[in-house]
Amino acid sequence: MIDSFYIAWKYLAFSKARSVTLVACITLIAVLPLALEIILDESEHQLVERAEHTPLLVGARGSALDLVMNSLYFADEVPGRISLASADAITATDLAFAIPLYVRFRARGFPIVGTTLDYFDFRRLRLAAGTPFGLLGECVIGASVASELGLQPGDSLLSSPETVFDLAGVYPLKMRVAGVLAPTHSADDLAVLVDVKTAWVIEGLVHGHEDVARSRDSSVIIERSESNVIANAKLMQYTEITEANIEAFHLHGDPTGYPLTAVIALPHDDKAAAILRGRYQNTDSGYQIVPPADVIDTLMTNIFRIRNVLDAVILFVGLATLMALVLVFALSLRLRQREIDTIFRLGCSRLTIAQLLGAEIVIIAAFSAVLCLLILAVVAHYDQQLVRALFI
Amino acid sequence: MMRRCIFTLMGCLLVLSSPPLHAADPLTVYTVNYPLQYFTQRIAGDHARVIFPAPADVDPAFWMPDRKTIGDYQQADLVVLNGEAYAGWVSKVSLPRLRQVDTSKAFKDGFIMVKDTVTHSHGPAGEHSHTGTAFTIWLDFYQAAQQAEAIAEALSGKLPEHKSEFEKNFAALHKDLMGLDLEIQRTVAKRPRQLLFASHPIYHYLARRYELHIEDLVWEPDVMPDDQQWQQLRLAQERFPAEWMLWEKQPLPAIAQQLDSMGIGIAVFDPCANRPASGDFLSVMHDNIANIKQVFAN
Repeated sequence: MIDSFYIAWKYLAFSKARSVTLVACITLIAVLPLALEIILDESEHQLVERAEHTPLLVGARGSALDLVMNSLYFADEVPGRISLASADAITATDLAFAIPLYVRFRARGFPIVGTTLDYFDFRRLRLAAGTPFGLLGECVIGASVASELGLQPGDSLLSSPETVFDLAGVYPLKMRVAGVLAPTHSADDLAVLVDVKTAWVIEGLVHGHEDVARSRDSSVIIERSESNVIANAKLMQYTEITEANIEAFHLHGDPTGYPLTAVIALPHDDKAAAILRGRYQNTDSGYQIVPPADVIDTLMTNIFRIRNVLDAVILFVGLATLMALVLVFALSLRLRQREIDTIFRLGCSRLTIAQLLGAEIVIIAAFSAVLCLLILAVVAHYDQQLVRALFI
Repeated sequence: MMRRCIFTLMGCLLVLSSPPLHAADPLTVYTVNYPLQYFTQRIAGDHARVIFPAPADVDPAFWMPDRKTIGDYQQADLVVLNGEAYAGWVSKVSLPRLRQVDTSKAFKDGFIMVKDTVTHSHGPAGEHSHTGTAFTIWLDFYQAAQQAEAIAEALSGKLPEHKSEFEKNFAALHKDLMGLDLEIQRTVAKRPRQLLFASHPIYHYLARRYELHIEDLVWEPDVMPDDQQWQQLRLAQERFPAEWMLWEKQPLPAIAQQLDSMGIGIAVFDPCANRPASGDFLSVMHDNIANIKQVFAN
């Protein structure tokens, strides 16, 4: 038996191109559906779990999917804006707690998530190093952000301008990294968490600059009266918040009108959730309230429809490949007919010849299986990243 | 069923995410000034460790806590705030929104806007101005009682098993505060048209509630006013003939002497924003009322 495997191995080693092609074909047939299964399972896990742990989202009327994807997975598509007053309004109902979210800006490609410290409690985020954001201008970065950018507490991270052509726009903010989150295997790993007020600093709604009332630079002051001083765009705004200049930072206007992209509503119970949802049914309100789990359910239904199509395609491709493999073996046997006749004349029985051919198939199958397992192990290891890259 | 499980899970998460509380563990409550610390401790009794961490020599309205103290506020079970107009540092740091109690929320529509553009300094907090919303809201004792009510509700929300005790303690505090309210009203009623200078623009709510006629100055009790300030006072006295001036604390003897020569007496009304050297909020307020009784004596 071992002799048969030895001779089969020698033959396969001699016919390298044919052997490699066969191994590749069988591996692909096995890997494709299994890898797809792993990725879809992980995507379902990530999408559904996070959605199910978020009872209700309040946002501007529009695409519910955009609202959920931006608020839960920090996707690029920014939903319409609502105001901080909407979070206060939810709290005022005594039906739910409200956690504001402002997910609009990015820092070196990673989403800046403006929220409050309650978000840490809500998502059960733990710090691997450092402290939560304390002062305005501080951030806490996700585990993946820290490893990819090589950042640790005490380092700085610059917010990215929304458009490079906005030369007169708001200066990027140099944020101090206060802490690094422990890995969560969720979208929070890729987030730069800041206080919502820091997000408003990035937008320019909250800013700090020298005291214009005392400025002696006449080129900065346009108009000065007893009650008001008007400065021009030459007035330098601070691009970093430090303990030395934090006193100079101030809000303009009523903060309740400041923007948010969503509010996570945490109802006290089922009844409170139903009443709260009822209050947002009015189509003229400009708001929508959605249970993220329902939105993700719809999304998953569509994904599973695509999955069924993919499964069918893979099935047909697999069948075609298998038939091609059978053909390759049959043609290979015909090509090797003289070789088989020689082995027979040398005194080998037909059973021995069958053993030789069987051993070849077993070796090829074994190689394919090992390769398949290796690829699946790699896919399983990077499934979270793959899912985020492909779906989120 | 699924949704019920989610809400149950959410509830568990929120409970678990807060610092663990056992029946015997008192709450840790941080406040932004002394009156709120006093109210909270009176209501909570032994069920809370109420901390106001500012040094004794600063005005809490203009104090900026250090990083460690901010971290302590973040870890607290409850952060008791005076309102959006007070303690500017609150708007420059991150505090858990769901653990904050805004004690003036119920009457925020009644806030008084101050148009004082004079920047000045006293104490270690550095320069500041009182422009914006007036913040010594507890000097209107009816408002102070509303603040106390907000605290009682928040404490009951945190420790519902002690709700009846909190309500009882609140009722006692409410009675004390309303007693002060009545006492001032009776005092002022004796000379309702009495004119007063205020050495500092901090008596807006006191003036509104008890219908006092006050003209604000920006003088410090431990800094001798310059000639210009004295001249301004003389001019002010011509159109506003007040014979008394309210002070946060006893001014320098030289100031008192010069005021006396102008026919202006001194009445100390300590807002008690920070811990008093002796006594407590209630005793300081009783002293204040005793001080102004001479002002409104027939």
